[in-house]
Amino acid sequence: MTPLIGLLLLLEAVAGTAVALSRKPRRQVLAMSVNGQVLALLFMALQAPDVAFSEIVVGAAVLPLMFLVMLASCRMDRASSGQDET
Amino acid sequence: MSATGRLGLFAFACLLLIPIVWQLVLAMPPFGAHPLPYADLINAAAPAERHVTNMVSAVNFDYRGIDTLGEETMLVCAVTGATVLLRGQRGEQLEAHPGQVENRPIPHRSEAMLLVGRLAAPLTVLFGAYVALHGMTTPGGGFQGGVIIASGLLLLFLAEDYRGWRRLMRSWLFDGLEGLGVALYALGGLAALPLGLPFLTNILPYGQPRNVFSGGLMIIENLAVALAVCGGFVVLLIEFLEETRVMSDGEQE
Repeated sequence: MTPLIGLLLLLEAVAGTAVALSRKPRRQVLAMSVNGQVLALLFMALQAPDVAFSEIVVGAAVLPLMFLVMLASCRMDRASSGQDET
Repeated sequence: MSATGRLGLFAFACLLLIPIVWQLVLAMPPFGAHPLPYADLINAAAPAERHVTNMVSAVNFDYRGIDTLGEETMLVCAVTGATVLLRGQRGEQLEAHPGQVENRPIPHRSEAMLLVGRLAAPLTVLFGAYVALHGMTTPGGGFQGGVIIASGLLLLFLAEDYRGWRRLMRSWLFDGLEGLGVALYALGGLAALPLGLPFLTNILPYGQPRNVFSGGLMIIENLAVALAVCGGFVVLLIEFLEETRVMSDGEQE
Protein backbone atom coordinates (compact mmCIF):
# COMPACT_ATOMS: atom_id res chain seq x y z
CA MET A 1 0.00 0.00 0.00
CA THR A 2 1.51 3.29 -1.08
CA PRO A 3 1.29 6.45 1.08
CA LEU A 4 -1.13 7.94 -1.48
CA ILE A 5 -3.60 5.09 -1.08
CA GLY A 6 -3.24 5.24 2.69
CA LEU A 7 -3.95 8.97 2.66
CA LEU A 8 -6.98 8.53 0.40
CA LEU A 9 -8.34 5.72 2.59
CA LEU A 10 -8.00 8.02 5.60
CA LEU A 11 -9.72 10.86 3.70
CA GLU A 12 -12.51 8.48 2.72
CA ALA A 13 -13.01 7.51 6.36
CA VAL A 14 -13.20 11.20 7.32
CA ALA A 15 -15.60 12.00 4.44
CA GLY A 16 -17.84 9.04 5.28
CA THR A 17 -17.97 10.04 8.95
CA ALA A 18 -18.84 13.60 7.89
CA VAL A 19 -21.85 12.28 5.95
CA ALA A 20 -23.07 10.35 8.98
CA LEU A 21 -22.55 13.28 11.36
CA SER A 22 -24.17 16.00 9.20
CA ARG A 23 -27.54 16.90 10.65
CA LYS A 24 -29.01 19.20 8.01
CA PRO A 25 -30.19 17.30 4.91
CA ARG A 26 -28.74 19.81 2.44
CA ARG A 27 -25.35 19.75 4.12
CA GLN A 28 -25.52 15.97 4.21
CA VAL A 29 -26.13 15.84 0.46
CA LEU A 30 -23.04 17.97 -0.18
CA ALA A 31 -21.00 15.84 2.23
CA MET A 32 -22.16 12.79 0.28
CA SER A 33 -21.00 14.38 -2.96
CA VAL A 34 -17.56 15.08 -1.45
CA ASN A 35 -17.50 11.49 -0.22
CA GLY A 36 -18.16 10.32 -3.78
CA GLN A 37 -15.35 12.48 -5.14
CA VAL A 38 -12.86 11.12 -2.60
CA LEU A 39 -14.01 7.61 -3.47
CA ALA A 40 -13.43 8.35 -7.17
CA LEU A 41 -9.88 9.55 -6.39
CA LEU A 42 -9.30 6.38 -4.40
CA PHE A 43 -10.46 4.21 -7.31
CA MET A 44 -8.14 6.19 -9.58
CA ALA A 45 -5.22 5.57 -7.22
CA LEU A 46 -6.11 1.86 -7.15
CA GLN A 47 -5.77 1.80 -10.97
CA ALA A 48 -9.48 1.41 -11.68
CA PRO A 49 -10.18 4.47 -13.86
CA ASP A 50 -13.37 2.94 -15.30
CA VAL A 51 -14.89 2.56 -11.83
CA ALA A 52 -13.72 6.10 -11.02
CA PHE A 53 -15.63 7.43 -14.07
CA SER A 54 -18.85 5.80 -12.90
CA GLU A 55 -18.36 6.91 -9.30
CA ILE A 56 -17.62 10.54 -10.12
CA VAL A 57 -20.73 10.85 -12.30
CA VAL A 58 -23.19 8.71 -10.35
CA GLY A 59 -21.90 9.10 -6.79
CA ALA A 60 -20.65 12.68 -6.86
CA ALA A 61 -23.09 14.34 -9.30
CA VAL A 62 -26.32 12.53 -10.22
CA LEU A 63 -27.24 10.99 -6.86
CA PRO A 64 -26.70 14.22 -4.83
CA LEU A 65 -28.64 16.10 -7.52
CA MET A 66 -31.59 13.72 -7.09
CA PHE A 67 -31.54 14.27 -3.33
CA LEU A 68 -31.36 18.05 -3.80
CA VAL A 69 -34.27 17.96 -6.25
CA MET A 70 -36.32 15.90 -3.82
CA LEU A 71 -35.53 18.28 -0.94
CA ALA A 72 -36.53 21.25 -3.12
CA SER A 73 -39.69 19.46 -4.24
CA CYS A 74 -40.66 18.76 -0.62
CA ARG A 75 -40.21 22.41 0.33
CA MET A 76 -42.10 23.89 -2.57
CA ASP A 77 -45.50 25.17 -1.71
CA ARG A 78 -47.76 22.96 -3.78
CA ALA A 79 -50.91 24.42 -2.22
CA SER A 80 -50.50 27.65 -4.22
CA SER A 81 -51.24 25.80 -7.46
CA GLY A 82 -54.71 24.83 -6.29
CA GLN A 83 -53.83 21.41 -4.92
CA ASP A 84 -54.97 20.13 -1.57
CA GLU A 85 -52.62 18.18 0.59
CA THR A 86 -53.74 14.61 0.22
CA MET B 1 -34.43 6.38 24.69
CA SER B 2 -32.27 9.17 26.04
CA ALA B 3 -28.99 10.27 24.43
CA THR B 4 -26.94 8.78 27.25
CA GLY B 5 -28.83 5.54 26.96
CA ARG B 6 -28.14 5.34 23.24
CA LEU B 7 -24.44 6.08 23.73
CA GLY B 8 -24.30 3.42 26.45
CA LEU B 9 -25.91 0.88 24.14
CA PHE B 10 -23.46 1.87 21.38
CA ALA B 11 -20.48 1.40 23.72
CA PHE B 12 -21.83 -1.98 24.82
CA ALA B 13 -22.27 -3.10 21.19
CA CYS B 14 -18.73 -1.89 20.38
CA LEU B 15 -17.28 -3.88 23.27
CA LEU B 16 -18.98 -7.00 21.94
CA LEU B 17 -18.20 -6.46 18.27
CA ILE B 18 -14.64 -5.07 18.30
CA PRO B 19 -12.92 -8.37 19.22
CA ILE B 20 -14.88 -10.18 16.47
CA VAL B 21 -14.11 -7.54 13.85
CA TRP B 22 -10.46 -7.47 14.92
CA GLN B 23 -10.18 -11.23 14.38
CA LEU B 24 -11.65 -10.81 10.89
CA VAL B 25 -9.19 -7.99 10.12
CA LEU B 26 -6.28 -10.21 11.14
CA ALA B 27 -7.59 -13.06 8.97
CA MET B 28 -7.95 -10.90 5.84
CA PRO B 29 -5.61 -11.50 2.88
CA PRO B 30 -2.86 -8.87 2.50
CA PHE B 31 -3.61 -5.61 0.65
CA GLY B 32 -3.67 -6.12 -3.13
CA ALA B 33 -3.79 -9.94 -3.00
CA HIS B 34 -6.13 -11.65 -5.46
CA PRO B 35 -6.25 -15.33 -4.57
CA LEU B 36 -8.84 -16.30 -7.22
CA PRO B 37 -7.44 -17.36 -10.60
CA TYR B 38 -10.15 -15.76 -12.82
CA ALA B 39 -8.44 -12.38 -13.36
CA ASP B 40 -5.11 -13.93 -14.28
CA LEU B 41 -6.76 -16.37 -16.67
CA ILE B 42 -8.65 -13.58 -18.46
CA ASN B 43 -5.52 -11.42 -18.65
CA ALA B 44 -3.64 -14.31 -20.23
CA ALA B 45 -6.37 -15.50 -22.62
CA ALA B 46 -8.43 -12.50 -23.79
CA PRO B 47 -5.85 -10.51 -25.83
CA ALA B 48 -5.15 -13.54 -28.02
CA GLU B 49 -8.71 -14.88 -28.09
CA ARG B 50 -10.66 -11.64 -28.65
CA HIS B 51 -8.05 -9.08 -29.83
CA VAL B 52 -8.97 -6.54 -27.13
CA THR B 53 -6.78 -4.75 -24.62
CA ASN B 54 -9.44 -3.79 -22.04
CA MET B 55 -10.11 -6.99 -20.10
CA VAL B 56 -13.03 -5.47 -18.18
CA SER B 57 -14.90 -5.00 -21.47
CA ALA B 58 -13.98 -8.52 -22.55
CA VAL B 59 -15.57 -9.88 -19.35
CA ASN B 60 -18.60 -7.56 -19.49
CA PHE B 61 -19.53 -7.95 -23.14
CA ASP B 62 -18.22 -11.37 -24.08
CA TYR B 63 -17.19 -13.88 -21.41
CA ARG B 64 -20.00 -12.82 -19.04
CA GLY B 65 -22.19 -11.02 -21.56
CA ILE B 66 -25.35 -12.65 -20.20
CA ASP B 67 -24.77 -10.90 -16.83
CA THR B 68 -24.61 -7.54 -18.58
CA LEU B 69 -27.92 -8.24 -20.32
CA GLY B 70 -29.43 -8.81 -16.87
CA GLU B 71 -27.86 -5.64 -15.49
CA GLU B 72 -29.10 -3.58 -18.40
CA THR B 73 -32.63 -4.94 -18.03
CA MET B 74 -32.42 -4.15 -14.32
CA LEU B 75 -31.44 -0.55 -15.07
CA VAL B 76 -34.35 -0.17 -17.48
CA CYS B 77 -36.77 -1.65 -14.95
CA ALA B 78 -35.50 0.71 -12.25
CA VAL B 79 -35.83 3.75 -14.52
CA THR B 80 -39.30 2.62 -15.66
CA GLY B 81 -40.38 2.16 -12.05
CA ALA B 82 -39.14 5.61 -11.05
CA THR B 83 -40.87 7.12 -14.10
CA VAL B 84 -44.19 5.42 -13.32
CA LEU B 85 -44.01 6.67 -9.73
CA LEU B 86 -43.01 10.25 -10.57
CA ARG B 87 -44.83 11.02 -13.78
CA GLY B 88 -48.36 11.09 -12.39
CA GLN B 89 -50.73 12.49 -14.96
CA ARG B 90 -48.50 15.01 -16.64
CA GLY B 91 -48.07 15.21 -20.37
CA GLU B 92 -45.16 16.68 -22.27
CA GLN B 93 -45.29 20.10 -20.70
CA LEU B 94 -42.31 21.80 -22.22
CA GLU B 95 -43.48 25.30 -21.32
CA ALA B 96 -43.96 24.77 -17.59
CA HIS B 97 -42.27 27.24 -15.28
CA PRO B 98 -39.78 26.24 -12.64
CA GLY B 99 -41.24 26.32 -9.16
CA GLN B 100 -39.67 27.98 -6.19
CA VAL B 101 -39.36 27.45 -2.49
CA GLU B 102 -41.37 29.96 -0.50
CA ASN B 103 -39.49 33.17 0.33
CA ARG B 104 -36.51 32.17 -1.77
CA PRO B 105 -36.54 33.81 -5.20
CA ILE B 106 -34.92 32.03 -8.13
CA PRO B 107 -31.53 33.72 -8.66
CA HIS B 108 -30.96 35.37 -11.99
CA ARG B 109 -28.93 33.19 -14.33
CA SER B 110 -25.38 34.49 -14.40
CA GLU B 111 -23.47 34.93 -17.65
CA ALA B 112 -20.48 33.05 -16.23
CA MET B 113 -22.70 30.00 -15.62
CA LEU B 114 -24.11 30.29 -19.13
CA LEU B 115 -20.65 30.44 -20.70
CA VAL B 116 -19.13 27.65 -18.61
CA GLY B 117 -22.16 25.40 -19.07
CA ARG B 118 -22.35 25.90 -22.83
CA LEU B 119 -18.60 25.30 -23.20
CA ALA B 120 -18.34 22.37 -20.81
CA ALA B 121 -21.45 20.49 -21.94
CA PRO B 122 -20.36 19.70 -25.54
CA LEU B 123 -16.83 18.88 -24.38
CA THR B 124 -18.18 16.51 -21.72
CA VAL B 125 -20.51 14.83 -24.23
CA LEU B 126 -17.57 14.47 -26.63
CA PHE B 127 -15.42 12.96 -23.89
CA GLY B 128 -18.25 10.56 -23.04
CA ALA B 129 -18.47 9.48 -26.67
CA TYR B 130 -14.69 8.98 -26.68
CA VAL B 131 -14.80 6.84 -23.53
CA ALA B 132 -17.69 4.78 -24.91
CA LEU B 133 -16.08 4.24 -28.34
CA HIS B 134 -12.70 3.23 -26.92
CA GLY B 135 -14.22 0.65 -24.58
CA MET B 136 -12.26 -2.18 -26.22
CA THR B 137 -8.86 -0.51 -25.99
CA THR B 138 -8.72 1.75 -22.91
CA PRO B 139 -10.49 1.74 -19.51
CA GLY B 140 -14.11 2.79 -19.78
CA GLY B 141 -16.80 1.53 -22.10
CA GLY B 142 -20.51 1.78 -22.68
CA PHE B 143 -21.67 2.35 -19.12
CA GLN B 144 -19.02 4.93 -18.27
CA GLY B 145 -19.41 6.71 -21.60
CA GLY B 146 -23.20 6.72 -21.22
CA VAL B 147 -23.19 8.29 -17.76
CA ILE B 148 -20.58 10.87 -18.82
CA ILE B 149 -22.77 11.88 -21.80
CA ALA B 150 -25.79 12.13 -19.47
CA SER B 151 -23.84 14.33 -17.04
CA GLY B 152 -22.73 16.52 -19.95
CA LEU B 153 -26.38 17.01 -20.89
CA LEU B 154 -27.07 17.85 -17.25
CA LEU B 155 -24.47 20.64 -17.47
CA LEU B 156 -26.82 22.26 -19.98
CA PHE B 157 -29.33 22.56 -17.14
CA LEU B 158 -26.90 24.82 -15.29
CA ALA B 159 -26.48 26.95 -18.41
CA GLU B 160 -30.03 27.06 -19.73
CA ASP B 161 -32.19 26.90 -16.60
CA TYR B 162 -35.19 24.64 -16.26
CA ARG B 163 -37.27 25.81 -19.21
CA GLY B 164 -34.51 25.91 -21.76
CA TRP B 165 -33.20 22.54 -20.65
CA ARG B 166 -36.62 20.93 -20.69
CA ARG B 167 -37.20 22.20 -24.22
CA LEU B 168 -33.88 20.66 -25.33
CA MET B 169 -34.38 17.30 -23.60
CA ARG B 170 -37.30 15.58 -25.31
CA SER B 171 -38.44 12.52 -23.38
CA TRP B 172 -39.36 10.58 -26.51
CA LEU B 173 -35.77 10.72 -27.77
CA PHE B 174 -34.24 9.38 -24.57
CA ASP B 175 -37.07 6.86 -23.98
CA GLY B 176 -36.27 5.61 -27.46
CA LEU B 177 -32.51 5.50 -26.90
CA GLU B 178 -32.99 3.49 -23.73
CA GLY B 179 -35.29 0.92 -25.29
CA LEU B 180 -33.20 0.75 -28.45
CA GLY B 181 -30.08 0.03 -26.41
CA VAL B 182 -31.58 -2.95 -24.60
CA ALA B 183 -33.17 -4.29 -27.79
CA LEU B 184 -29.85 -3.97 -29.64
CA TYR B 185 -28.04 -5.88 -26.90
CA ALA B 186 -30.57 -8.72 -26.95
CA LEU B 187 -30.64 -8.84 -30.78
CA GLY B 188 -26.83 -8.91 -30.88
CA GLY B 189 -26.99 -11.97 -28.67
CA LEU B 190 -29.74 -13.59 -30.72
CA ALA B 191 -27.81 -13.17 -33.97
CA ALA B 192 -25.81 -16.32 -33.23
CA LEU B 193 -28.87 -18.58 -32.79
CA PRO B 194 -29.72 -19.09 -36.52
CA LEU B 195 -26.16 -20.35 -37.02
CA GLY B 196 -26.77 -23.01 -34.40
CA LEU B 197 -24.47 -21.33 -31.89
CA PRO B 198 -25.28 -20.43 -28.25
CA PHE B 199 -26.74 -17.06 -27.26
CA LEU B 200 -24.22 -14.17 -27.29
CA THR B 201 -21.58 -16.11 -29.24
CA ASN B 202 -19.07 -13.66 -30.69
CA ILE B 203 -19.58 -14.34 -34.41
CA LEU B 204 -18.14 -11.13 -35.89
CA PRO B 205 -14.51 -10.78 -37.03
CA TYR B 206 -12.30 -9.72 -34.12
CA GLY B 207 -10.27 -7.10 -36.00
CA GLN B 208 -6.83 -5.78 -35.16
CA PRO B 209 -5.73 -5.53 -31.51
CA ARG B 210 -5.45 -1.94 -30.16
CA ASN B 211 -7.89 -0.79 -32.85
CA VAL B 212 -11.16 0.99 -31.96
CA PHE B 213 -13.01 -1.61 -34.03
CA SER B 214 -11.66 -4.70 -32.30
CA GLY B 215 -13.56 -7.32 -30.35
CA GLY B 216 -16.24 -8.30 -32.89
CA LEU B 217 -19.70 -8.50 -31.32
CA MET B 218 -18.39 -6.59 -28.28
CA ILE B 219 -18.47 -3.35 -30.31
CA ILE B 220 -22.22 -3.71 -30.85
CA GLU B 221 -22.94 -4.73 -27.25
CA ASN B 222 -20.80 -1.83 -26.02
CA LEU B 223 -22.75 0.61 -28.20
CA ALA B 224 -26.03 -0.89 -26.97
CA VAL B 225 -25.04 -0.38 -23.33
CA ALA B 226 -23.93 3.21 -24.05
CA LEU B 227 -27.31 4.02 -25.65
CA ALA B 228 -29.34 2.36 -22.89
CA VAL B 229 -27.38 3.94 -20.04
CA CYS B 230 -27.34 7.43 -21.57
CA GLY B 231 -31.08 7.25 -22.34
CA GLY B 232 -31.94 5.78 -18.94
CA PHE B 233 -30.02 8.39 -16.96
CA VAL B 234 -31.41 11.33 -18.93
CA VAL B 235 -34.97 9.98 -18.56
CA LEU B 236 -34.36 9.74 -14.83
CA LEU B 237 -32.97 13.30 -14.71
CA ILE B 238 -35.95 14.64 -16.67
CA GLU B 239 -38.37 12.90 -14.32
CA PHE B 240 -36.64 14.24 -11.22
CA LEU B 241 -36.22 17.80 -12.48
CA GLU B 242 -39.88 17.81 -13.60
CA GLU B 243 -40.68 17.56 -9.90
CA THR B 244 -39.41 21.11 -9.42
CA ARG B 245 -41.80 22.74 -11.89
CA VAL B 246 -44.98 24.60 -11.10
CA MET B 247 -48.01 22.33 -11.24
CA SER B 248 -50.57 23.45 -13.80
CA ASP B 249 -54.32 23.29 -13.28
CA GLY B 250 -55.85 19.86 -13.25
CA GLU B 251 -52.60 18.04 -12.62
CA GLN B 252 -52.24 15.64 -9.74
CA GLU B 253 -49.17 14.56 -7.90
